[in-house]
Amino acid sequence: MEEVKAYIESGILELYVLGQLNTQECSEVEAMANKYPEVKAELSAIELALESYALENAVAPSSALEEKILAQFNTNTITEKLPEPKVVPLYEGQKDGTVRTLRFALIACSILLVVSLGALFSAHNDLSQANEQIATLSLDKEKFASTVSKLQFDKSGMENRIAMTETNEWATVKLAGVKDSPKAKMLVYWNKNNKNILINYAAMDLPKTDQAHEYQLWALVDGKPVSLGVFGNTDNAKEAVKQMETIAKAQAFAVTIEPTGGSQNPTMEKMVVMGGVTI
Amino acid sequence: MATTKKISLSEEELVNALKRQDTVAIKALYDMYSGALLGVISRIIQHTEVAEDLLQETFVKIWNSAGSYDASKGRLFTWMMNVARNLAIDKLRSKDFKNANKNQDIENNVDFIDQQKKVSFNADVLGLKDMVINLKPEFKDVLDMVYFKGYTHVEAAEELNLPLGTVKTRVRMAILELRKKFN
Repeated sequence: MEEVKAYIESGILELYVLGQLNTQECSEVEAMANKYPEVKAELSAIELALESYALENAVAPSSALEEKILAQFNTNTITEKLPEPKVVPLYEGQKDGTVRTLRFALIACSILLVVSLGALFSAHNDLSQANEQIATLSLDKEKFASTVSKLQFDKSGMENRIAMTETNEWATVKLAGVKDSPKAKMLVYWNKNNKNILINYAAMDLPKTDQAHEYQLWALVDGKPVSLGVFGNTDNAKEAVKQMETIAKAQAFAVTIEPTGGSQNPTMEKMVVMGGVTI
Repeated sequence: MATTKKISLSEEELVNALKRQDTVAIKALYDMYSGALLGVISRIIQHTEVAEDLLQETFVKIWNSAGSYDASKGRLFTWMMNVARNLAIDKLRSKDFKNANKNQDIENNVDFIDQQKKVSFNADVLGLKDMVINLKPEFKDVLDMVYFKGYTHVEAAEELNLPLGTVKTRVRMAILELRKKFN
C-alpha cells in the first residue's frame, strides 16, 4: 500500500486529470486506477475538485449565444430525430409498385407504337408499289391478251383464205377504193357452186365508221343494187370470216357506209369500195 | 429557448443522452456547463467573440466525439474541459490568431504581470460570487497556469523558474486545498 500512497502523492494523478500526460503515461494511470480503488477514488476527488473550481470560475456566455448554439443543433440534428412523417398512399395497397410497372408498360407501349407505325408506313409503301406493279402487269396482260386475240382473229382469217385458195370453188372479187377513199380495198369470196358470199376481215382495209354507221355489201345485178347484208368494223367483229347473203349472179360488188341496220338502197356518195366480177 | 427551464441531468443520464445523440443532452450541457467551459476557454483566449466561437466549437466537438468518451476513464466534465482547453490552445497557437492578436500581447503580459503582483483581480473572475477560493498565491498561480492558461507543467516550471518537481507538488497541494473547500 505504500507503493500506492507514493503513487498518489507523486502528483501524477493531478497531471492526468489536467490532461498533461502523454498517451503512455495515461495508460499507466488508467491501469493503476483499475487495479487500486484508492487510485480511482483519488482521481474522482481530483476531478470533482477541479470541476467545482471551473464552475466557480465560470464566465457567463452572452445571452444570444445559447440560442445560437442550440439552434445549430436544432437545425442539424433535431430534425433528424423527428419521427419520419408517415406517408399515407392515396390509394390502398402497393400502388407504388403498380404505378412503376405501369409506367414501364407505358414506355414499352410507346416504343412499340412507334415501331409499329414505322413498320406500317414501310408496309404501306411496299403495298402501293405492289399495287402499281399489279396495275402495270394487268395492263400489260390486257395488251397481251388483246394482241393474242387479234393474232388469233387474223390467223383464223388467214387460214380461211388459205383454205379457199386450195379449192377451185371460190372466186375472189377484188374491190378497190373509189374517189373519196382511194386507199380502201377489200376481197369478196363467191362460191361458184352454192353461190355463198364470204367476207374476210383479214382481207379488207376500209375507212372507219362511227357507232351509228356500218358497212353494207351490195351486189349489182343487171344494173340494180341488191343488199347482201351489213357488217361492222373489224374491232367489233367476232369472227374473222363472215358469211353474207347468197347471190346467184352479179356483175359487180360494192360497199357503202349506211346507218346501223342497213338501208333499202345504197347511199352512192358513201360508197367506199367497188369491184367488177371478172369471171 | 432562453426562457425555458434550465435542465439538469445526472452525469449518467447526461452521458447516455449524449451517446444516443439526444439533443436534450446539448441543452442540459449548455445549462450546466457552458459557463464553466467558457471560463476555461476565456482564460486562454481573452477575446470574447473568439472565446464564444470556441465554446460553440466545443459543443459541436463534444456532440460529434461523444462516442469516444469513456466513462470508466474519468468524469464527463474532465473530458469536456480538456476538449475545450485543447481547442482554445490550438486557437491560441494558430498563425491567424497570433497575427490578429499581436497588438494585445502587451496588454496580456501586463495583465499577467499584474496578476503575479496581486495588484488587480483577474477581470474574468470579477463579478463571481464572493471569491470563496482563497488558495495560497503560490498554489493558485501554478494551478491557474496549467489548468486555465494552457501551459504544460513543464512550461509552467520554466515560466515560473521553478523545478519541475516543485510545480507538480504545488499543483497537487493546490488541488488538495480545493478538495478541502468543495468536498
